[in-house]
Amino acid sequence: MTRMQNFKAGLLKDNPVFSLYLGICSTLAITTTVNNAIGMGAAVIMVLIISNVIISAIRKIVPDDIRIPVYIVIIATLVKIIQMLIEAYAPALNTSLGVFIPLIVVNCIILGRAEAFASKNGILDSALDGLGMGLGYTLAVLCMSFIREVLSTGVLNIVNPFDEAQVLLNVTLIPEEYTIGLFSSPVGAFITFACLAAALTAYKTHSQEKEAARAAQAKEVKQNG
Amino acid sequence: MAEFAGLFVTSVLINNVVLNQFLGMCPFMGVSRKRSSALGMGIAVMFVIVVAALVTYGLYYWVLVPLQLEYMDLITFILVIASLVQLTEMFIKKTSPALYKSLGVYLPLITTNCVVLNVCLVNITSAYSFTQMLAYSIGTPLGFALVLYIFSAIRERLEISSVPKPFAGNPIAMIVAAIMAMAFSAFAGLV
Amino acid sequence: MNKVLLAILFFGALVAIYIVLFLLNKKTPLPEGCENLKADCEACHDIHCINNPGHGRHPES
Repeated sequence: MTRMQNFKAGLLKDNPVFSLYLGICSTLAITTTVNNAIGMGAAVIMVLIISNVIISAIRKIVPDDIRIPVYIVIIATLVKIIQMLIEAYAPALNTSLGVFIPLIVVNCIILGRAEAFASKNGILDSALDGLGMGLGYTLAVLCMSFIREVLSTGVLNIVNPFDEAQVLLNVTLIPEEYTIGLFSSPVGAFITFACLAAALTAYKTHSQEKEAARAAQAKEVKQNG
Repeated sequence: MAEFAGLFVTSVLINNVVLNQFLGMCPFMGVSRKRSSALGMGIAVMFVIVVAALVTYGLYYWVLVPLQLEYMDLITFILVIASLVQLTEMFIKKTSPALYKSLGVYLPLITTNCVVLNVCLVNITSAYSFTQMLAYSIGTPLGFALVLYIFSAIRERLEISSVPKPFAGNPIAMIVAAIMAMAFSAFAGLV
Repeated sequence: MNKVLLAILFFGALVAIYIVLFLLNKKTPLPEGCENLKADCEACHDIHCINNPGHGRHPES
């Protein structure tokens, strides 16, 4: 696989959330508003890229036996740094994401990528993989939070994470009397997730079938010709 | 006592860790195929959480606070949890093969289980007293085990029913979780 | 200055304890009859995890 294919796979085909089912906890919990999703996505991308780069850089020094303890220590340190930065520069985001920022430590996307990719590949490849997987996660949380926020409040509201008072976007998409409050509750989160994951599965089977049909056709043409 | 009971009931039923806080989704989806494995996982999680909560609570207030190292909380907690899991696994391996068969295999999955780290962190960030800490640290895993067991019982039935193809596997499990969350929201007025 | 040193010492001690326990646990043999037990966790489709039923099979890509 080339670098570019590898990078793109994380976005849709091997999307960490809807295809690999990694990091579901935070996806379900923080997607009540698009603001949360943007903040969480950015935090995960940062942790993922830096941890992938560090782990890839030290992959030849770390003894194979103790690599998992080493990864856990590195990731925990990074997450604490990011958490302190968010606390200092975006306090509103820190309050609304709450315990889910420190819980990035146990988000399987990060440890999973460290073990599956960064420990075997070069620094540049690992950084790209981190970016691709991080963007895949961000895309997933953005989709979910968009659906949930718009269906439950009817309004799409985006504010500057570093300055709560600065509203970047505020549009009413659905009139208030037609909104479904259920979607802001846990029930809505589970249902939205299930439908999006099923949609991706359906899309993947469909494109696989199409590819198989095309391959069969090409084979037939070859035999006849 | 009232303090204990209130928080205990809240953390088991009302603010359930899986259905309301979305934590521990991985074992919830992963080891809920059979009732026996759900029970094993539930008990293993309960044991690790209670011990980890006691150790991290003590470490935070008796070591980190006096030394003014509060910023080391996250790193300390994750290392304590990971060490505890290793210690427990080793202990079970040496003492009882039967126990290892039913609980031990789930222990490696617990290090990265967000319920454990969440309980340790919330005990500190909510500034719980010792009693409250006990109520929360026993109630949360109990709620987890309860929901996991109910879910596995539903899933055994789900196995033999026909499901739309794209929904097979995890998506249908999520739908079941949604219905369970709806049922559990009826507990909201309890306390 | 002293506090930084203390933090590093504390951190080092925790990491040392964890690594020692990790290695000790790895060395402890599995009890009889448990050699091939796996949790068979099917939550995520990450085949790199040793608990995934698909672990060890190479992905075709």
